[in-house]
Amino acid sequence: MGAYELSLFTVIGINVILALSLNLISGYCGQISLGHAAFYGIGAYAAALAGKAGLPFAACVVLAMVVAGSLGALVGGISLRVRHDFLAITTMGVGFLFLGVVRSSDWLGGELGISQIPAAGFDKPMYLVLVLACAALVAAFSVYIKRSWMGAAFDAIADDEDTAGVLGIDVARNKIVAFAIGTALAGLAGALYAYYTRFIGLDSFGFVTSISVLSMVVIGGIGSVWGVVGATVLLTLMPELFRFINDYKLLVYGGLLFAVMRFAPGGLAALIGGGLTRLRRA
Amino acid sequence: MLYLELLVQGLIQGSLYAMIAVGLTLVYGMLRILHIAHAGLFTLGGYLAVTVMNATGSLGAAALAAMASAALAGMAIYRLAYQPILDKPPFVALVASIGLYIALEEVFRLVFGPYGLAFAQPPLQTPVAALGLSLKAGELAMAATALIAMAGLYAFANHTRLGTAWRATVDEPQIAESFGVNPVRVRYLVFLIGSALAGLAGLFVAVLSNQVEPTMGAVPSYKALAIIVLGGLGDVRGSLVAALALGVVEAFGTIYLGDVLDRDALAFAFMIAVLMLRPQGLLGGR
Amino acid sequence: MMLKRLLPAAAVLLALAGAGAHAADPIKIGFMAPLTGAGASDGNSAKIGAEIAVEEINRAGGIAGRPLELVVYDDQANPAQAVPIANKLIGQDQVVAAVSGSYSAPTRAAAGVYQEAKVPFISAYALHPDITKTGDYVFRTALMGEAQGRAGAKLVGELLGKKKVVLITLQNDFGQALAAGFKSAAQRFGVEIVGEYEYSIKDRQFGPLVAKVASDKPDAVYASGLFFTAGPLVGQLRSGGVQATIIGQEGYDSEQFLKIAGAAAEGVIITTALDRDSSSPVTQRFIADFAKKAGFQPDMVGASANTAVSVLAAALKEAGPDDRARLRDAIGKVEIPAAVGAIAFTPEREARKAVQVQVVKNGAWHHYAVIDDAELLKP
Repeated sequence: MGAYELSLFTVIGINVILALSLNLISGYCGQISLGHAAFYGIGAYAAALAGKAGLPFAACVVLAMVVAGSLGALVGGISLRVRHDFLAITTMGVGFLFLGVVRSSDWLGGELGISQIPAAGFDKPMYLVLVLACAALVAAFSVYIKRSWMGAAFDAIADDEDTAGVLGIDVARNKIVAFAIGTALAGLAGALYAYYTRFIGLDSFGFVTSISVLSMVVIGGIGSVWGVVGATVLLTLMPELFRFINDYKLLVYGGLLFAVMRFAPGGLAALIGGGLTRLRRA
Repeated sequence: MLYLELLVQGLIQGSLYAMIAVGLTLVYGMLRILHIAHAGLFTLGGYLAVTVMNATGSLGAAALAAMASAALAGMAIYRLAYQPILDKPPFVALVASIGLYIALEEVFRLVFGPYGLAFAQPPLQTPVAALGLSLKAGELAMAATALIAMAGLYAFANHTRLGTAWRATVDEPQIAESFGVNPVRVRYLVFLIGSALAGLAGLFVAVLSNQVEPTMGAVPSYKALAIIVLGGLGDVRGSLVAALALGVVEAFGTIYLGDVLDRDALAFAFMIAVLMLRPQGLLGGR
Repeated sequence: MMLKRLLPAAAVLLALAGAGAHAADPIKIGFMAPLTGAGASDGNSAKIGAEIAVEEINRAGGIAGRPLELVVYDDQANPAQAVPIANKLIGQDQVVAAVSGSYSAPTRAAAGVYQEAKVPFISAYALHPDITKTGDYVFRTALMGEAQGRAGAKLVGELLGKKKVVLITLQNDFGQALAAGFKSAAQRFGVEIVGEYEYSIKDRQFGPLVAKVASDKPDAVYASGLFFTAGPLVGQLRSGGVQATIIGQEGYDSEQFLKIAGAAAEGVIITTALDRDSSSPVTQRFIADFAKKAGFQPDMVGASANTAVSVLAAALKEAGPDDRARLRDAIGKVEIPAAVGAIAFTPEREARKAVQVQVVKNGAWHHYAVIDDAELLKP
């Protein structure tokens, strides 16, 4: 495997973690977030600063998860006050607030970002293995959550909050837990990204990133682990696959998002699932 | 004096926001869709206005082209994109709309080039001195247009048959239908009016900055969302108040709080603060 | 459904990419720039500028009989895409060296990859200070932002004799560096900063800012920006009654700025890289070639990318394409007349060249002065 494939697959692995982390919040628990990139960024900045302060790689990753997860729990608290589309746009606001705060904070690098992040101490193939192992763990964890009692509670909340409350599910606690876990995992993705590019700047954690992560989740089939993984791999590879139509590739990307939603609103999971059912019937 | 000037500038910016946000909140009120692609219609209006103005030299023709093209495109988006997926969960339409917006941005770049366009003879640039403020004719024209449009919309909704049907469809769709109101016709009407206003806003932005770019819809695409949420999602009057309030907050904020938070962050900090106090928006009851 | 059809196509494509390692006759140079999305205008100009350099070298017989080939990729100004692209250019396309026609974030991300692979890499106009600090294989053909800011202070205080200045700063690394440089040298040239404001790269409506600047009554306005922000800003400053001299930088430097600002552009002075009235045949040829190929007048971005490729070609002539360490050393020793005027490199691998001061006269950029003060411009 050449350096090109190594770097491409590393990006895919990081994106898979990021998309699965949002899937926990938006897919399982039904809380649509348009500001998930902020927690990806918080993780990246926390890891980068800790790394530059001399902490070992593993400690940086854990710290990134803790910081992103705590701030995520705080935003989860917001979701108790505002719901549905109000919440989606409030989280979008959180994303812009994050950018604004970093922009005006010199200790966070401001406009210049953070450079010279120390190496993680692995060579590129080992780092890829590490990222893919993390992605696999997050996928396994997602499947585990889905099957657990908590997954059932999330599901009930996603279905109808009020009914879930009547059924005796602690809606507030579950929502905050969903946000805390999801954002902590976004923090993990951020830490892995920071140690992958070895420098970070605001550009990577803006609204566009939030939107592309949400697209990965929805295109994959919201709530479906394998659908989301598949869509993430596909959408991350898209700019590479479509190099031959260089000038049109963003047009194709936008058109594809639209077309999948218009013609297969259940995303890849429903598309493939439906295909299998039809095959079995035939 | 400076405060008055900042206030006026804020209200002018707010009237621009209002023209964009009204269509968005109308669509949301009727269909519960966060219509991101609305910002693409704003860009379309801007591009057609500049192109037609440069070709004909007539501002009236430019305005007509901007409004008509945006209105047609808006209705087409409803028919081809949203109508078939109305019964799906809301995020389906949201992501479809985002995809559409990205594709539209790219179409503008491919058709009109990446550098954007400018008027050969920018219209409405005459300075107007009033109250000791230095304003451009274009700024006054925009504020006046927004005012007239909102007043017209209000009169239409409250004093015409079609307007009554429309309000009924928003508030009580089933009952309205049983009284013989055709909801589909009303929906087309909403897209027609909202999109035409967005197209007109595109023209005014083109006039005020004398340029249109493929990405000019990027900021409206998310800031208009903040406004309609502040206004209480689907509440036209609320959105109007929110648009003006946000314009003023940004005007003072960028000058006096500029080194604490940038413009977008200020706007959203304001939005989050309001929502924490009033989760139903500025005017929302309950 | 569309996806299903795409999957086999993708597989074919990956197979093709793997099989394409034929023994290439041309010497390959990598090039990345934002060709779609928000940065597409600059990316497009940079690409045209680079292609002109390649065409010219090939017309003159190439490098020791071998033609140059520019391998172009679109990075969408995205650092996460720039890293795989750099790896692809190095590993699959086997380029001897590469040029970035992109912004700071992707350039900085890519620089680490090139440094690690020991492949020479030139940033055409991305100004982040850490790009060249990445290592000894990374060069830059544009002047650092801080140096340009100091030149701006000299222009305002000494050449123009303006003392009361308002600073309007674009919120990105370029704007911040300019402001830092300007402020550090302001006192030396007797410049007093009477107001300081920032704006976002997304802003096009500057009403409140203009009102505040008008109330500050400055002699001059030092405003950083790119043509699409500077155009509306200058137009609105003038129509808002601000008559002070407006000083800009290389971000203004395009034909589009003149179109957007229109009559308000008249008298605007900028520090930049390209001298329209230059007597250098290299610069004049570039200006003519660019206008012919692009269909519009050249800009700073195009001139910088053109210069970066020319520098690389000059070093290739000296050192040949086979030994990258020799190529790196040769780049460091290059001294050529380029589109942006005479250029060489400092030991920090930063450009050593003069600052061109241009003024808008009768709707076109013209020569105003040259600032060539080695002490002031050192990185």
